[in-house]
Amino acid sequence: MMTYSEVEAVTGYVGNFNVTVRKKARYVDPNECTSCAECAEVCPVAVPDEYQQGFSSRKAIYLPFPQAVPSAYVLNMDDCLGNNPIACGKCADVCDKNCIDYDDQDKLVNIEVGVIITATGMDVYDPTEYDEYGYTRHENVITSMEFERLICAGGPTEGHFIRPSDRKTPQTIGFIQCVGSRSRDGRGNPYCSNICCMNTVKDTLLLCDHYPGIEAKVFYMDIRAFGKGFEDLYMRSKEEGVKYIRGIPGDVTEDPETRNLLLTVENTTTGKLENHELEVLVLAQGVIPRRDNDRIRKLLTLSTTSDGFIMESHPKLKPVDAPTKGIYIAGCAESPKDVKDSVTQASAAAARASILLNAGKTKIEAITSQIDADKCNFCGICAQVCPYNAIVSSDRKTKRLPVIIQAACAGCGACAAECPQDAITMRHFRDEQILAQIEAILAVEPHKHLLTFACNWCSYAGGDDAGTARLQYPTASRLIRTMCSGRVDQKFVLHAFKLGAPIVLVSGCHFSDCHYISAVHWTQKRMDKLWNKLDKLGVRPDRLRLEWISAADGQKFAKVMRELDDVIKNVTMDEIEYTMNVLAEEEAKAKEKKTKTRVEVQA
Amino acid sequence: MAVTETRFKCLNCGHEYDGIYDSQVVQERTCPKCRSNSVRRLPKAKPDKAKK
Repeated sequence: MMTYSEVEAVTGYVGNFNVTVRKKARYVDPNECTSCAECAEVCPVAVPDEYQQGFSSRKAIYLPFPQAVPSAYVLNMDDCLGNNPIACGKCADVCDKNCIDYDDQDKLVNIEVGVIITATGMDVYDPTEYDEYGYTRHENVITSMEFERLICAGGPTEGHFIRPSDRKTPQTIGFIQCVGSRSRDGRGNPYCSNICCMNTVKDTLLLCDHYPGIEAKVFYMDIRAFGKGFEDLYMRSKEEGVKYIRGIPGDVTEDPETRNLLLTVENTTTGKLENHELEVLVLAQGVIPRRDNDRIRKLLTLSTTSDGFIMESHPKLKPVDAPTKGIYIAGCAESPKDVKDSVTQASAAAARASILLNAGKTKIEAITSQIDADKCNFCGICAQVCPYNAIVSSDRKTKRLPVIIQAACAGCGACAAECPQDAITMRHFRDEQILAQIEAILAVEPHKHLLTFACNWCSYAGGDDAGTARLQYPTASRLIRTMCSGRVDQKFVLHAFKLGAPIVLVSGCHFSDCHYISAVHWTQKRMDKLWNKLDKLGVRPDRLRLEWISAADGQKFAKVMRELDDVIKNVTMDEIEYTMNVLAEEEAKAKEKKTKTRVEVQA
Repeated sequence: MAVTETRFKCLNCGHEYDGIYDSQVVQERTCPKCRSNSVRRLPKAKPDKAKK
């Protein structure tokens, strides 16, 4: 176990990851330290204790928290006065075991691992944004994390709950739910933080147990007691006399004399405006992704949802697998969840990892890319495009070809679509195969068909959803399945138009659902290029469409098909003929240019 | 020069609007009027060459 350490870099791929870890300097030898605390006793520096939410202080040399592993002190050099005998050095003087080393340095450690489990946790929402609750103005407004420290036996008050302004045990206490969660007003987050309702229910039960007769009120919009035994807990809390008031206070003010908090709330059950006076108010702050999640995402080549949590490979079938092979996710790194769900997910991730480790080898899908050495001109675009860093870039100077790491390639096909030399072949989705499908679809009455490229995971499944839901849409649509919309090469679209397609639709996953991290970004970029090209050639750009359709959105799939069927009717035969001619000319010109270049090179 | 103000055009309903385009951060585009994703980033008009 490497504590007080940070991952600096991760290279390699499934089964062969190389992880660089920075072991931060502790300035205390953890093997020798016995946690006797004599160093902390003589340390003259006192700073707010982060673990106790600032309710108590710690020294510059300290034990981060009582259950810290290893049970050894650590010296925070930012707080320490230093080993200058004039300045300080007291801790080193009193340490009998001589385990304090002021010259300790960070160490970089390289580890080779086969799989990685990401369990990087979450942060909590800062409620200062909700100014109406007065968190920064009123001393007796605290957060649920602060409440946790105050009621905890290991906390600064040894579990005696006091209100901060006068250190007396309050008789009336209120909780405001959903602070920073389920918000649509631009503040906080739109998602439910999952744990706050039951955390508050537990807090009220603790209060009722510790202080019989205490008056507790919970202001909520909905109580989500969905887990095993949760409803019972909620009912128990109600039976203990806790009042649940459906309504979120709009304003919190303070009585300057008593320091009590005055709340105004519309009780949406009775429809009446109510005033409440409380001694302490607890804000049930929501859960947010770790603030350094973006760094973790880049380190491990992961993707995140629009909320900022790490995205799983598949929400139902691979809930603990990351899109990058050999990486698994557990806990709140993936989404807000309680302890039980985190443990369940961690067990699943460990089991998934052990399957791979015990097997010693992994099966990969045969849908991967390969380089044609004769065609590659060492431009390096493929390596830039790859969302998985599965391509070791080429080198034009040394004429080193790019190398595709087959175990890391996920098969999106973005590299094949972007390669300007057509030097990449996507197994099972080769250019020839897709072009042949286009030709087959447009062989008879092409002007009547709506050619659609649909990605395997979302749009194609969206079509399935429309079918199973028996949604009606015109029969003009013809689908070509690709693993990702990122595989749709410009030449596929142009070829379709050249063969007389009135409309071409490219459809894929929403950005937040992309099964290939960011391959879908290249689809949008390519579409911009295609629209400009069509415009330049005098072809209406609106004959090429782009839609993001999720697997569960059969309704959208059917709607788009119906709309485009109407658009087909507006495309005239003259337009189609003009497009076919202009693209045939373009193709001829391109071929001529290519032949000329080859002749020049050979000469 | 990564972030620029750009004009977008919905190819479904023809609605045109101004928005921010960041070449470093690719964002999903949706027409604010009809919710279609066929939103084209219009190329900047080239300035007329000064006549001699």
